Amino acid sequence: MSTDDIKHDDQTLVPGRRKFLNTAALAGLAGAGLSVGLSSCKQEAAPTAAAPAAAPAPAAHTAGAGDLNLHPAPGQLDTYYGVWSGGHSGEVRVLGLPSGREIKRVPTFNIDCMSGWGITNESKAIIGTKADGSLKYKTGDTHHIHGSYVDGTYDGKYFFVNDKIHGRIARVRGDIFECDKITEIPNIQGFHGIFPDKRDPVDQSINRTTRVFCGNEFHIPHPNDGRDMDDPTKYKTLFTCVDAETMEVRWQCRVDGNMDLVATSYNGRLAAANQYNVEGGAHYEDMMSAEKDACVFFDVARIEQAIKDGKFVTIGDSKVPVVDGTKDANKDPKTALTCYVPVPKNPHGVNASPDGKYFICSGKLSPTATVIELTKVEEFLDGKLDDLNKSIVAEVEIGLGPLHTTYDGRGNAFTTLFLDSQIVKWNIDAAIKFHAGDKAAKYVVDRIDVHYQPGHISADMGETKEAGGQFLAVGCKFSKDRFLPVGPLHPENEQLIDIRGEKMVMLADHPVYPEPHDFVIVKREKIKTRQVFNVDDFPLAIKDPKDSGVFRTGNKVTVKLVSQAPAYSLREFKVKKGDEVTLILTNLDKVEDLTHGFAIPKYDINFIVNPQETKSVTFKADKPGVYWCYCTHFCHALHLEMRTRMIVEK
Amino acid sequence: MRFDLLSRLRHRGTALLAATLAGLAMSSGALADTYEVKLPPELSSSPKMCDYAPCKDVMPGATSFSERKGQPPFVEAYKDEAGQKKLLGYVMLSTDITDTPAYSGKPVVTLIGMDTTGRFTGVKILKHSEPILLLGIPESALIKFNNQYLGQFVGDNIEIGKSRSEEHLIGLDAITGATVTVIAQNQVMMTSGSAVAKQVGILKPVIRPQAKFAATTAAPTWAQLVEDGSVQRLVVKAEEVGLKSDGRPYMDLWFGYLNQPTIGQAILGKDGYAGLMARLKEGEHAIFIIKTAGMDSFKGSGFVRGGIYDRVQVRQDSDSFTFRDLDYVNLWGVSAAGSPAFDESAIFIIRGKGFSGAFPWKLVFLGNKIDKETSTKTFANFDKEYWLDAKYLEGGRPVVIKPDPTWLKVWKERALEIGGFIAFLLVIAAAYASRDALVRRSSRHNKWPVNVFKYTGWVVSIGFVGFYAMAQPSITQVLTWFHSLLFQWKWELFLSDPLIFVFWIFIILSTFLWGRGLFCGWLCPFGSLSELLYKIGGAIGLKRFQFHLPQAVHDKLKWVKYAVFFGLLAVSFFSMGLAEKLAEVEPFKTTFLVGITNRSWPYSLFAAGLLGLAIFMERPFCKYLCPLGAALAMPTTFRWFGLRRKDECTSCKACAKGCGSLAIDTKGNIDQRECMLCLDCMVLYYDDHACPPLAQERKRRDKAGQPLTPINGKGYFIPIHPVPADTKKGAAA
Repeated sequence: MSTDDIKHDDQTLVPGRRKFLNTAALAGLAGAGLSVGLSSCKQEAAPTAAAPAAAPAPAAHTAGAGDLNLHPAPGQLDTYYGVWSGGHSGEVRVLGLPSGREIKRVPTFNIDCMSGWGITNESKAIIGTKADGSLKYKTGDTHHIHGSYVDGTYDGKYFFVNDKIHGRIARVRGDIFECDKITEIPNIQGFHGIFPDKRDPVDQSINRTTRVFCGNEFHIPHPNDGRDMDDPTKYKTLFTCVDAETMEVRWQCRVDGNMDLVATSYNGRLAAANQYNVEGGAHYEDMMSAEKDACVFFDVARIEQAIKDGKFVTIGDSKVPVVDGTKDANKDPKTALTCYVPVPKNPHGVNASPDGKYFICSGKLSPTATVIELTKVEEFLDGKLDDLNKSIVAEVEIGLGPLHTTYDGRGNAFTTLFLDSQIVKWNIDAAIKFHAGDKAAKYVVDRIDVHYQPGHISADMGETKEAGGQFLAVGCKFSKDRFLPVGPLHPENEQLIDIRGEKMVMLADHPVYPEPHDFVIVKREKIKTRQVFNVDDFPLAIKDPKDSGVFRTGNKVTVKLVSQAPAYSLREFKVKKGDEVTLILTNLDKVEDLTHGFAIPKYDINFIVNPQETKSVTFKADKPGVYWCYCTHFCHALHLEMRTRMIVEK
Repeated sequence: MRFDLLSRLRHRGTALLAATLAGLAMSSGALADTYEVKLPPELSSSPKMCDYAPCKDVMPGATSFSERKGQPPFVEAYKDEAGQKKLLGYVMLSTDITDTPAYSGKPVVTLIGMDTTGRFTGVKILKHSEPILLLGIPESALIKFNNQYLGQFVGDNIEIGKSRSEEHLIGLDAITGATVTVIAQNQVMMTSGSAVAKQVGILKPVIRPQAKFAATTAAPTWAQLVEDGSVQRLVVKAEEVGLKSDGRPYMDLWFGYLNQPTIGQAILGKDGYAGLMARLKEGEHAIFIIKTAGMDSFKGSGFVRGGIYDRVQVRQDSDSFTFRDLDYVNLWGVSAAGSPAFDESAIFIIRGKGFSGAFPWKLVFLGNKIDKETSTKTFANFDKEYWLDAKYLEGGRPVVIKPDPTWLKVWKERALEIGGFIAFLLVIAAAYASRDALVRRSSRHNKWPVNVFKYTGWVVSIGFVGFYAMAQPSITQVLTWFHSLLFQWKWELFLSDPLIFVFWIFIILSTFLWGRGLFCGWLCPFGSLSELLYKIGGAIGLKRFQFHLPQAVHDKLKWVKYAVFFGLLAVSFFSMGLAEKLAEVEPFKTTFLVGITNRSWPYSLFAAGLLGLAIFMERPFCKYLCPLGAALAMPTTFRWFGLRRKDECTSCKACAKGCGSLAIDTKGNIDQRECMLCLDCMVLYYDDHACPPLAQERKRRDKAGQPLTPINGKGYFIPIHPVPADTKKGAAA
């Protein structure tokens, strides 16, 4: 193992020059307190390490980055949508790629005073409110984001994203890029990963997304109402299925171990979740004690049949049927709802290959990637394969801290190596050959340094059968010295890498506000957006300016307003102190991009209404006086003049 | 010169001139005051059109008007009724809607009023460039014509000609002599009216049957799409919008129809096509446009503020389809192999009812032309037709009856006249081509074999061609022709008057074959009238008053007409309008088109004076003033067939004496540029009693007892040569 030139190469952008580090990283890790988990690293079994170490400097990429349109000329559009999670900012973001220009932020689990998300009645209803009408949660941690499918590729209809903190799943409409549903999943904590299914497991003719599967990480008492708090052995975790259309929870499945990421098969039969802590430990040293964890597979149709057959329980107040997917309850493969493919060790990502054949799990604490052949898992569940271990067709060393994998559609996998701060490009077929005994098979194709410590990775259309193999984005968790310093808090660094050639080529650094986890890169042709809203879609819409006015029932007052640039339909409106005011505003402008704002000073209210959209706010008129409400969203040459007086009479 | 001539005339024919003048009616037609008037530039560009146009004149009772609205634009007219504004109707400016050219090649700018039920309430000409209305037909005639529209419904089938109730056709009386102008005017009225009526809902849009697309498996390349017309190109040059060219076009657009699956998939790819079609509702259509070069954007920025794309439009017949921002879809790229690079692109969705991909349509680029001098903007539209190739349509292209262009209508309407006229010209040409036979049959005392054709020519020319058909050729046509050659050749302009068109072809051919004399001497209506008057004058005993100018004076004066011609030509380069006014040196309009009694007195006096003088002097106008004659005289130099001459002609002055055109000089040469091809000299040429050399030979042979052999082509008796006996025998055998 060479350990010499790491520092030198850390500072350089020349890709592929840096030699594979192994033990050097170990030294660094000791300080991070993670070395305990790496003790099993089999240094002697790293034959692949030598090959890239000897790799010469790469030939210049013949295509260059120019034809990827990395820097679109003024007026030119990006060729891909990047749909990004925003981490504990609680939002979703839409980028143009490959330029990396941020086009939109989609407030989801957070509060956004630009759009009025969390301020308007409509957004509050989606987020969820307490009995007094105030928001149930103001925080959220968007983790994984995935699009809905039709025929194995994106249909652009929905993007699903989870909130790890409060265990919620949200849906963003692909035609407006706004959140339209949020569902809180019962009896879970630490909701880590999601994945939509790609085909209906029961009705094969439905070749599109109908369900979203949710992997739940933390194990908790069931129900978590104060019982069993000091007995972690009674903590349990649930795998959850949510209906993609209604966003209702369909069912849950109790499993052993903690789940993080989720994958689904292209034929719809299987869902899987990576597991760590099959030990059921409550502290990390316990969680890492076993050499093998697992990737748990769910036979979706069997679970739903079991529910039909009444073989379920419910937990606490929840009415969601829960089936038992623990190992003990599923010993006969022919009837098993689940099966547990052993994977070393505290694995992380699980990603389906575009050809539909494999799920690849990353070892995280093991320097290996595990390739699971799905037909073999199915054979096992059908009773045709005696040993589930035979579904593992490769388990090869690729580098330290492997986390997530994406694909180029040409048989190569790209896996982030968190500890090596690298991406390794490796060939799946070669890895399978190597695993089968062909030690001459060189499965590692290339490595490239990234800056620094990569987490998620996603290539263009890499999660679909249309994987394009043009470029990938990698979410680096630390930017350190890559951007102008702005104080102790640093942005994350999303890097773009050209993957068209044999060698990867670093293309760009992009600072991102913390902290995106996951993202998908979607061909622009897949997205079909609305230009304006449909006024009829809003039950409260005021379709005629003449219907504007102040309507009173006791001390409940409804103010109906419309906006048409550059005016609101009421020049002033009067309410009385103590009234509960509901203000409804319909933007009757039909011109694309003619959005209006509505701000009420001192009442802590601001929101926007897009063309043909209706929104409402409810507040207590507790301060008498004159309040100039005005348009906050630039709309017209007379934008400044667009205002109305709220007169709160004593 | 004219005064000099008139003073001479005074001596000889005072009485007759006075009588002619007395018969003149003093003019009724004032000069048309809208001819080429300068309109305020705001008229065509300001939103407040009615601040610059007399909108109230065409919408009686209106008290206020809206700003321009709609596409094509119009204004709403209101009446105050109890403090409320009541919509009375609509006022439109014809040039906002159509640029149908009239006779002059320029549109007649017309303000049109229409009430809310689609009935015309007023028509007012603001500007025209019709020479015929300038100096010929009084403006009142056009006003009278326009008044026929008042109360008519815009949706009715209104055409020039007789009403035909069985065809639900309402006929309008044309203006004689201004057929083209009124046919164009009718097109302007009906196009403008229906364009606005459709926008405001008075007329329902035409519902065309939707296209059924033929299934093809082809995946055409860009070049193939261009070749079969599936992709069309619309280029606007910088000069066309008044900009200086820097080598780039102002706009270079390629466009095509996307609903057709083969074309749509070739352009958008399979996925792109499916995605786009999923967006379209029943009856909606998508087109794409890419800009491969140009100085400006075809999207502009109007859509940002008002939501309307104000630079591009689709038209199908008289239906126009505009695009809102919501009708715009991104064109991600063009899939077809070999497609050009572009810097601006769009997919536009046609949502208006009635559009069909099976029928031809046009992409219209709505430009602004900037006047270099005043930098005022005027609308300038450019379009390009698109019609799906038959192979893309199930059952091929539908039959489309396109309205005939104005010129074709005229030709069809006057087919009989045209046929007769052509026959007439051919007869005259045939007669002249056989002149040798005719002149041999004639003699000094009996010229009827020639004259029967010539006089017939005169009478038909004067009566049919001149007075009836008003097909008197004019120098203005020569000027127009010159300008067309130099600037822009428009066949429509020349085809719009069929008799003139046919006449000119004949004139050009005959001038190069035989010289200008066949037209001038045999067929020109005014020339014929002049000489006929001279002949009649002679016949009724005025012969003693008839005279020729002395040859020396004539030889100087004959150059005047060339000066007139070049003067007019020079002026025309500065102002065609002024040149046309000065072309009144030709009394043709006064004589034939309007009538001597219908013009203002200076014109009538001039024409009558020339005709009066013609009674006493053969063709004074033709000899000295006619610019058209001058124009034709020059190419006559290169005529193919001249008149015959004999060696003796150099000394013998016999024919020169009788030459009414004074075209034979002292050396006996015929000046073909002056010659009217009356053939008098050719009659003498073969006449052995009149031609001195022939008469001499005849007398000699009579004396010598020699036989009079036939006269050969050279104008001599065939010589008698004594020959040896054996040869003689052989020859006899």
